[in-house]
Amino acid sequence: MGESVLSRNNVKVFGNGEQPMLFVHGFGCDQNMWRFVTPAFSDDYKIVLFDYVGSGKSDLSAYNKTRYANLDGYAQDVLDVCHALQLENVIFVGHSVSSMVGVLAAIREPSLFAHLIMVGPSPRYINDPPYVGGFERRDIEELLDTMDKNYIGWANFLAPAIMKNPERPELAQELTESFCSTDPVIARNFAEATFFADNRADLPKVTVPSLILQCSDDIIAPTSVGEYLDRELPQSTLHLLKATGHCPHMSDPEETIAAIKSYLSSATSAEIELAHQ
Amino acid sequence: MIELLDRAPCGFLTFAGDGIVVDVNATLLEMLSAERDKVVGQPFESLLTIASRIFYQTHLFPLLKLQSTVEELFVTLRGSDGSDVAMLTNVARREENGIVLYDAVMMRLRERRKWEDEIVRARRAAEEANRAASGLLSMMSHDLRTPIGSISGYCDLLIMGIRGPLTEPQLGDVQRMKKAAEYLLGLIEDVLNFARLRSGQVIDLDMKTLDTANVLMETEALIGPRMDQAGIEYHREGCSGDVRVIADPDRLQQILLNLLTNAVKFTPAQGKITISCARDGDHTVISVADTGRGIAADQLERIFEPFVQAKTASDPASKKGFGLGLAISRGLARRMEGDLTVRSEVGGGSTFTVRLKAPAST
Repeated sequence: MGESVLSRNNVKVFGNGEQPMLFVHGFGCDQNMWRFVTPAFSDDYKIVLFDYVGSGKSDLSAYNKTRYANLDGYAQDVLDVCHALQLENVIFVGHSVSSMVGVLAAIREPSLFAHLIMVGPSPRYINDPPYVGGFERRDIEELLDTMDKNYIGWANFLAPAIMKNPERPELAQELTESFCSTDPVIARNFAEATFFADNRADLPKVTVPSLILQCSDDIIAPTSVGEYLDRELPQSTLHLLKATGHCPHMSDPEETIAAIKSYLSSATSAEIELAHQ
Repeated sequence: MIELLDRAPCGFLTFAGDGIVVDVNATLLEMLSAERDKVVGQPFESLLTIASRIFYQTHLFPLLKLQSTVEELFVTLRGSDGSDVAMLTNVARREENGIVLYDAVMMRLRERRKWEDEIVRARRAAEEANRAASGLLSMMSHDLRTPIGSISGYCDLLIMGIRGPLTEPQLGDVQRMKKAAEYLLGLIEDVLNFARLRSGQVIDLDMKTLDTANVLMETEALIGPRMDQAGIEYHREGCSGDVRVIADPDRLQQILLNLLTNAVKFTPAQGKITISCARDGDHTVISVADTGRGIAADQLERIFEPFVQAKTASDPASKKGFGLGLAISRGLARRMEGDLTVRSEVGGGSTFTVRLKAPAST
């Protein structure tokens, strides 16, 4: 089981620390999206990266429509990876939808996790007055339509691209690689599992402390959603980033790294203080 | 923008690393019915519809960050009058005096979009119909299985005389009822198997190293009486304890039973059925050859399609069943990382070949 999960989910482990930091990508991309932030943690932590089944370089033949019809199947991937590597005391870092996947995993096996760090989380994307998620159902249906249209030209979308102007020198090594490749049908199912999810009722059940990284001007997770999460999640810390958009770990990795480090160091001092009391 | 770009029949737009539009050509402004100052200085994202903004944040932006260029992406811009303007877009990153800029070229989609809409609609309708059909098949089969199981069970009670003795003609009738009920149960099992395979449900496989002689012994016990009854000569070649195969024993038997049942159905009296086993590199092949009438070339692949049977108008017996057996057998063989294929010619009989992995030691 262990070995097969590692190849099924294209698991990568590196870093010099003991405590694992598990970085989990969101909808639309794969583990590559973390490459701007992981180097900042690899001296002090064991970095674990993986692709959900159906994303990136995972084993597409392991995809099962029923299992991944909702976020529980994705939470099982997280737990499978934790078990396969026998991880303990995990700092879970999830982007976007994976924040809620982390919530589900932490409810099922709270003892595995030390912290949940949520980058641009939302427990529900569709408005449900008085709750404001930011979208109407028709917006999501239009998104599915946009994705379908892009499947028509999908071959191009997924074709390995020559990296002409890499934003980081270390990327220059990889002249040709296909990033964020996902099977189009699976991507559409993932979109449905993501944007039609409603995890509001799960939030109070979380016993693991969490950090909410809320971006400025993020259409996918508006500020009011970050505030809602902070109210509903026990032991949460809300941090408002200056970075705009939905991918602060890509648009402003420095600010994202600083926010995570500051949270972890204050959490560690609090734990030490508690231990001394 | 230089005059050439302003006159070009497609939109050009440049935005900075922070997403703010720094330049736009006249063609794009015209497409959006917008003034330059309502576009320049605004975030590129704000020109998109809500759905395209989500797509931008989840796909386009990460891809640009990672690979610096995207090609032929479909996005919808919002015109200043609120209309949707569908575009096919290429974006590439460049640096100018140390500043990151993204250049986007946009082709407006009008006629092409209609066709694409049609393709998407047709595909969704097909997917929906497929899902509905699978769901119905599965539900119907479950609902039918229980009452038919009861009919079969009550027939057993009567045959065993538990409800009192039956006369000879009554016993014959009840036995025929029992046989019909069992036939129906077999059909329902086929439909359920097929629905499971088609819906991609996980089928639990218990993969083991099997001895072909043992597998066949059990299969022959089930099919032997029917061969004798039909007056068919049966041969077995090379299927010994030395020739082994990696498979789920129940599933392999299901495949072989299906192939042998078909062979009996299509082989006339005094005909011959030969089953042979052989090692072929990393694989073991088990072939079932008959001396039946054979299958026309244009039917060869079709017979693996569900609900299709070889044309056998002259033989009413062959019309029995739903035509799911070969679709299921091929599906199962493929699930076991193997395959099921056929060679045949009209008048020259047919040979069905199951190819599965062989254990390394044999």
